[in-house]
Amino acid sequence: MKHPVLENRVRMVVWWLVWLFLALGQALIYYYAYGSFVNISILDSGLSLLIYSGIALSLWYPFSFLNKNNTKPFSLVLNLAATGIITIVFWILITKLLLTLILPQQSGFEAYWTATLPYRIGTSVFIFGLIILTYFLFVSLTNLSEKKSREAKLETLVKETELKMLRSQINPHFLFNSLNSVSSLTITDPEKARDMVIKLSEFMRYALSKKDEQPVSLRSELENLRLYLEIEKVRFGDKLSTDEEIDEKCLEIKMPVMILQPLYENAIKHGVYESTECVRITTRVRMVEGYVEFIISNNYDPSPAMRKGTGTGLLNVARRLELFYGNKASIKTTKENGIYTVSLYIPVDYK
Amino acid sequence: MEKIRTIIIEDEAPAREIIKHYLKELDFIDVIAECGDGFSGLKSISVLKPDLVFLDIQMPRLTGIELLEVLTEKPAIIFTTAYDQFALKAFELNAVDYLLKPFPKRRFLDAVNKAADKIRSGTEIPDPGQLLAKKPETAAPVNRIVVRKGNAINLIPVEQVKYVEAQDDYVMIYHSAGKALKQQTMKFYEENLPVNDFVRIHRSYIVRVQEINRIEPYEKDNHVAVLKSGEKLPVSRAGYKHLKEELNF
Repeated sequence: MKHPVLENRVRMVVWWLVWLFLALGQALIYYYAYGSFVNISILDSGLSLLIYSGIALSLWYPFSFLNKNNTKPFSLVLNLAATGIITIVFWILITKLLLTLILPQQSGFEAYWTATLPYRIGTSVFIFGLIILTYFLFVSLTNLSEKKSREAKLETLVKETELKMLRSQINPHFLFNSLNSVSSLTITDPEKARDMVIKLSEFMRYALSKKDEQPVSLRSELENLRLYLEIEKVRFGDKLSTDEEIDEKCLEIKMPVMILQPLYENAIKHGVYESTECVRITTRVRMVEGYVEFIISNNYDPSPAMRKGTGTGLLNVARRLELFYGNKASIKTTKENGIYTVSLYIPVDYK
Repeated sequence: MEKIRTIIIEDEAPAREIIKHYLKELDFIDVIAECGDGFSGLKSISVLKPDLVFLDIQMPRLTGIELLEVLTEKPAIIFTTAYDQFALKAFELNAVDYLLKPFPKRRFLDAVNKAADKIRSGTEIPDPGQLLAKKPETAAPVNRIVVRKGNAINLIPVEQVKYVEAQDDYVMIYHSAGKALKQQTMKFYEENLPVNDFVRIHRSYIVRVQEINRIEPYEKDNHVAVLKSGEKLPVSRAGYKHLKEELNF
């Protein structure tokens, strides 16, 4: 861990201001202890605390060493106490040495020293405690913020993974049935087969290449959906027809990639797969008060014995919307008179 | 030699085309019908009594599997499917073979030859052999039951099923609009009906929990479940334990 004071200029200023304040306090105490010698009290206090401050800065290293090694609380206290005693003794001795060297041989110094010594010991213990406390505070705050950033990182990671999982997988039924159509078309209509292979490739490329976090325009989403529906039309022929009504203003709106495709896949699964009648999928997109409104509907066979899905496709779309937009997007479905409708609202401003 | 009369049941036109195309080269095959959904397929089989059927699984109105369940006289079946989660089930239902779409011609011809051998020799049991290795993926829960009454086919939504009763090799399904006999095992329904809704209360009974009005003691150690409709069903000791777990009492 870096030094908490030396690495930061603001902290450095605060550090010295605190020491200045302490020095003033100590000078007052010495003056009070001995009564006279104002000059000496100030000199003594300033000099000694300058030294103490230097010692305090270097105390960080043994402190962080002791703290990092995860020693037991008892031995940590013992170690700190030992460090404290050494520090204080060293500090007192060096102060006395310096003062005797600086000051002219005056008779009063010895008496002054003796009178202030208990206070000297008291303040030094107090200051030592203060230093250790500051360092402890610093370490725990740093740990806390590190933990927080780690958690935040983890959260984004989980979110990304979840998005990847939720991202609609290409339905194997779709893929293999389409390939089967291609296989058949190579015999009956090679040109159409080639066309189908190209469409399938384009669709797959789009589905596989886009990154989840990278928003795409509605224009490219729609282009891709048309590819998908055209492929399905080759499979189902007259059984599938589509119709769209798109407000041009919406085309450049950004949205999560492949968010609409599962809705069409559902329409095909529950509409076309289960019906012997022609199924018409209609798409209406328009702007409504800061939102883009999607209305996707299809007719279906409403008899009660129709097979139901598990609802995972729709749930995945809803979850992805939540992850992308928070609670700003909404999706709901209705069934009425044999028409299944999905209404989707996403905010115009992406994120 | 007599030709093998064949029906293709498949909802996608291109998929029908390729089968027809491959079959065109085989002079011993005669395609007598093509159907685009399960119901019309069932009707054609019943009326035309073919020797061989190419059967898609995923189809409107009635799946290939459901279709096969209600057939009394089964022709040789070759399943064609895009995705192999149904393969194991297909063999339980005595299909001759199954083809994964898209299939190569050689694989297709193997399947047809296998079926032709079976039809000519008149053997009943197909050889599931090499294809059994793959386990089906978690099967979708049953949400409708297909039953046959005379010539009529009924689809009973699971929500309408009240209870299921064992009857020798069959089960009797009691539902809101009557009852229906079906060739199936109790074990199958115990495993495939929605677990939260149904409890096996007895060797011979699986009941919808919501249909139970109360449980009364009966003789010593035994209980009966009284249904909302007033019917009383025996509850075995194990069944009582299942009920206790399900209902938390």
